[in-house]
Amino acid sequence: MDPLILSLWLIRLAFLALLYLFLFSVVRVLLRDIRQAAREPSTELGRLIVAASPSGEPPSGSVFPLDAVTSIGRDVNNSVVVEDDFVSGEHCLLTFRGRAWYVEDLGSTNGTYVNGDRVDGIAALGFGDELQVGNARLRLERSHR
Amino acid sequence: MSAASAQSRPALPSIDFSSIRPRPRWRELWLLLLVGIALSVGSVSLGATERVQAGKALSFSPAQSQPLLAYLGALLLANLAQVLAGRRTDQVLLPAVGLLGGISLLLMERLPQNLVSQSIGGMTLGLGQVQLLWLLLAVAIITVLAIVVRSDAWLRLYKYTWAAVGIALLVLTFVRGEDVNGARLVLRLGPLSGQPTELLKVIVVVFLAGYLSEFRPLLVEQDSRIGPLRLPPVPYLAPMVGMVAIALGIVVFQRDLGAALLFFLVFLLLLYVATARSAYVILGLLLFVAGSYLMYRLFPVVQSRVDVWIDPFRDASGSGYQIVQALHAFARGGILGTGLGAGLPMVGGRPPIPEVHTDFPFAALGEELGLVGVLAILGVYLVVIERGLRIAAAAADDFRALLAAGLALVVGVQAFIIAAGNLKLVPLTGITLPLISYGGSSILANAVVVGLLLALSDKGVEPPPPPRVGGRLAGLRSRLVQSGR
Repeated sequence: MDPLILSLWLIRLAFLALLYLFLFSVVRVLLRDIRQAAREPSTELGRLIVAASPSGEPPSGSVFPLDAVTSIGRDVNNSVVVEDDFVSGEHCLLTFRGRAWYVEDLGSTNGTYVNGDRVDGIAALGFGDELQVGNARLRLERSHR
Repeated sequence: MSAASAQSRPALPSIDFSSIRPRPRWRELWLLLLVGIALSVGSVSLGATERVQAGKALSFSPAQSQPLLAYLGALLLANLAQVLAGRRTDQVLLPAVGLLGGISLLLMERLPQNLVSQSIGGMTLGLGQVQLLWLLLAVAIITVLAIVVRSDAWLRLYKYTWAAVGIALLVLTFVRGEDVNGARLVLRLGPLSGQPTELLKVIVVVFLAGYLSEFRPLLVEQDSRIGPLRLPPVPYLAPMVGMVAIALGIVVFQRDLGAALLFFLVFLLLLYVATARSAYVILGLLLFVAGSYLMYRLFPVVQSRVDVWIDPFRDASGSGYQIVQALHAFARGGILGTGLGAGLPMVGGRPPIPEVHTDFPFAALGEELGLVGVLAILGVYLVVIERGLRIAAAAADDFRALLAAGLALVVGVQAFIIAAGNLKLVPLTGITLPLISYGGSSILANAVVVGLLLALSDKGVEPPPPPRVGGRLAGLRSRLVQSGR
């Protein structure tokens, strides 16, 4: 075979091979990334981040992983206890129904607010929304994967 | 109440410069190195082929080394700038996008330079040189966005403003735009001109992400039923459907079918990402089929596109010419391709496929790199989509998740629409192949998308997303949910 044609042919194939070498390296990185994410199985439906807590209990910045039913209030039997003078004993209830979160006010004295709007009975809650009970502000976030 | 809303105003993100520490990005550097080697070998292959065809002695040196070196240098600088900025952003996106841009550069250098000529300051630049300038600008945009954007409040809080900007852009194009090949695509404002639909696709994704994240809790509930389909309360779907209808309507009036198809598919995909309800997708597809049939009957443009798609050989030298030539190009390429620079013999001083640099770069690559090369390029687009979806899955709240998913999908879907159009799998629609086609608007809009994706992928500093300021709609939504119970 003509060496000229052959060398042209080889360099052409080298380019294609290098494209696949790049793809292969990228896919290896992606697989490692996905495996790492799969190794930390998360059954969390969401998490509650304390954005502001003037009373200091819970300290602001703390994170609560959420169960499908999470109660919030001053009473120690709640899943999330907020020590604040303006929080009722059983203040509100977070529930995950089907595909979305809801917050239900349990007849608290000072009310529950979602993004500054008072919850009247029950309201839908999206990830990134901010919940205010008493002086404490809590943010609902998706759990990290 | 007033205290609560005052507190919930987002504070401007303040950057503490003393806390910024360089953070090495070895993975990105390694992948960029591979991109550099691959592109250099491609350039040598192109150079050798061109010299042999010109009847000169064979020598293995790149076709034109300066443009490629400038481009690779810009990618390295982007890596260095991100290392210095010390953000923990994604390390795969930039190399993947860099490879696509580099292939674009090789292709545009290889196509006849007189397809485009622009004179800047007395110098006349050809196709490859202009594309090089756009690509360098794109790398700069990606880097700046990846480093600077630390808060998404400016996108999240002003979704209706963005929607208004988008609609204004469309109306402006309709009133003042210029027609290209029967479609009103180009808007010229003073010295600037561009394709507004490219920018519009970013705006549409931002609006849809903002709207869907706000109303997601409601959209996943079912309140009204149409037959077996369960739908969310109609008032919540109305503004969104209205927005899409306006976008689609004007786009149809501008006869830009590719953009219409892209917007509708991205809308459906995002609706599914937000709600995980297949009823929406089924309903959307039914609407799509009905709408397509209606448009087929009403608009001769659509009719001719579909007819050409069904049988391009019936008028192979007329309306079917472009697609027939593209099919011939794919056939010439075969499995391994003819090699860079060896395809597309000129017909009368022009390449056989009209608009090869904007609408048919995929066919040109199919000829020169063959099935193997084209599959690799589609693989790179899949990588971009995968990265976007991973960034979405790791996002802390709905808006970021939907924004990341939408941005990645808009690029991916566009790539697959035009690739399928070039292959005659779907009727041809004149949109660009993201990051490969020639064109400033397309390259820059896609650079904005990639830059935003990089900024959203930062896991290190994650400023709290500002809560949405409660307004009339928020009050309405809590009341409606309650009454629906």
